[in-house]
Amino acid sequence: MQGLEALAEQDERIMLVCADSLKAMRADPFLEKFPDRVVELGIAEQNAAGVSAGLALGGLIPYFATYAGFITMRACEQIRTFIAYPKLDVKLVGINGGLAAGEREGVSHQFFEDLAILRSIPNLTILVPADAGQARQAAIAAAEIPGPVYIRLGSGRDPVIFDDKQPFVPGKIHLLEQRGNDLVFFCNGLMIPRVLVASAMLAAKGIACTVAEVHTLKPLDTEGVTELLIDCGAAVTAEDHNIIGGLGSAIMECAAEHCPVPVSRIGLRDVFPGSGHPEALLDFYGMSVNDMVDAAITTINRKPNPYPNEE
Amino acid sequence: MNERVEKLSAMAAQLRRDVVNAVYYAKDGHPGPCMSAADLVAVLYFDLLRLRPEDPAWNERDRFILSKGHACPLWYAALARRGYFPPVELKTLRSLGSRLQGHPDLKKTPGVDANSGSLGHGLSQACGLALAARKRGSDSLNVVITGDGELNEGIVWEAAMAIAKLKLTNLIAIVDNNGMQSGGKVEQVSGLYPLREKWEAFGWYVVELDGHDIGQLLPVLERAFIRGRATREQRQGMSLLPEHLELELETTAGTPHPDQPVVVIARTLKGKGVPYMEGDNSWHKRVPTDEEHQIALSILGGQDLE
Repeated sequence: MQGLEALAEQDERIMLVCADSLKAMRADPFLEKFPDRVVELGIAEQNAAGVSAGLALGGLIPYFATYAGFITMRACEQIRTFIAYPKLDVKLVGINGGLAAGEREGVSHQFFEDLAILRSIPNLTILVPADAGQARQAAIAAAEIPGPVYIRLGSGRDPVIFDDKQPFVPGKIHLLEQRGNDLVFFCNGLMIPRVLVASAMLAAKGIACTVAEVHTLKPLDTEGVTELLIDCGAAVTAEDHNIIGGLGSAIMECAAEHCPVPVSRIGLRDVFPGSGHPEALLDFYGMSVNDMVDAAITTINRKPNPYPNEE
Repeated sequence: MNERVEKLSAMAAQLRRDVVNAVYYAKDGHPGPCMSAADLVAVLYFDLLRLRPEDPAWNERDRFILSKGHACPLWYAALARRGYFPPVELKTLRSLGSRLQGHPDLKKTPGVDANSGSLGHGLSQACGLALAARKRGSDSLNVVITGDGELNEGIVWEAAMAIAKLKLTNLIAIVDNNGMQSGGKVEQVSGLYPLREKWEAFGWYVVELDGHDIGQLLPVLERAFIRGRATREQRQGMSLLPEHLELELETTAGTPHPDQPVVVIARTLKGKGVPYMEGDNSWHKRVPTDEEHQIALSILGGQDLE
């Protein structure tokens, strides 16, 4: 919300559209500062998406912000036909993205399909910032990106990962660590701290990895990803999302087309989870540090033998 | 007024002819739902809407949304006759490479201000447009024609609730109440009625009239346009029924509250103007044969597409 406030100060066209989500977005300071720039429409996400389209048609830049699943599932068709198809300047901000952010609320508030759904819709840019600082930068960057943008956020209680000096450059993968080229981790969001721990544990075993953040899921930095696949020859993806349709799928599609090397996916394994503490949930549903270490070793072992004819 | 009514009646017949031609040449499309809205669209596009066809992006234009997007051959006909593109282009309807898509696409068709086709979305978009107009201090109006079938959609009532709450008097809704939807009579397919009471319960002021009687449509919609551009003070006590015309229409009791949005429920007939289409729901989506095409042209008069 701080990013949006900064934007709104500079640009008269910035509006905040809410579906009784002001409190969830912690947007009270924005409302106080810009009372006539907030459109509160009540718990009616389909209408909120349609109204956002109308605001954009009228020359404004609406940020429609509420829970990730209520935007991407309840208002999916409105996004597709009335925002993405005419390529309108509507920015969609989804909170509680992923299993960890939904945590104790249970499945109705755990959104692990949002990225898969939106990735199949043309014209959309999809950003997955990892912490509050990146979220602020992503909100500002979104205003510069022509057309619709989806920003996937967590619970707002996410740990700080990056210091503010690190620039957020949409469209490019962000190299976090380059210990070596035994394997590359592609990750985003809350998975980043876990992947960094896994990478350190692997290093202790003599396995040197590269870690890259993929905060722009669409359009994917195909060139950057392919370069790392060529260099490392094996990859593990890690995302707080179903393994179908999100980052894992995007990387596998890229690998299959441009550099077919072994890839394994860490994420929710296509099941409905339960309520729980975020860390416990990630551990239980296959996204623990140990799961990452195991996946890395297994994947490296799947690298083809460069000398298949020698015993 | 009579001269205006006559001119608009002739234009409505011309638009109906254009629809028959467009669907006939495209060999696809929805003629029935166009016919019921033809008089409404003629009144809007050839009398009331503030437009600059030579500058479709002019910011002070009124915005019109045909929420029942399947009736777009009618919209395209009005745009063509208003000068946005040559009428002959109507022959390309629905074909690959055409600017005239199967359902409205604002990026492709000059004069189309919003996408539609997936039903129920006109009011939501008009709500956003009306907010944007209010924010920039413009008196441009935002007018929506919805079908009655599409009022089945929940989003319509989400929008109706929001528009009343936001006091968007610069938005005018018109229901093309032809009583039929794709699958049959509205009351058989859905639980839509009573309709006036629903709108009233959502905070709207309702006027019901005959959607084919331009002598009623023109003065009432003209009043609604004047009200839509008026100040709050001017709207105080303003009636939607011009006194000198002594129209006896069913309306919400009293005059609209100055903050209240207005909806016109236009009772219409699906297929109106082409006798073999009137009231026959098979014309919801159907292509006239060579013979039916000729019959329609001889009844409607007017000019061909050239």
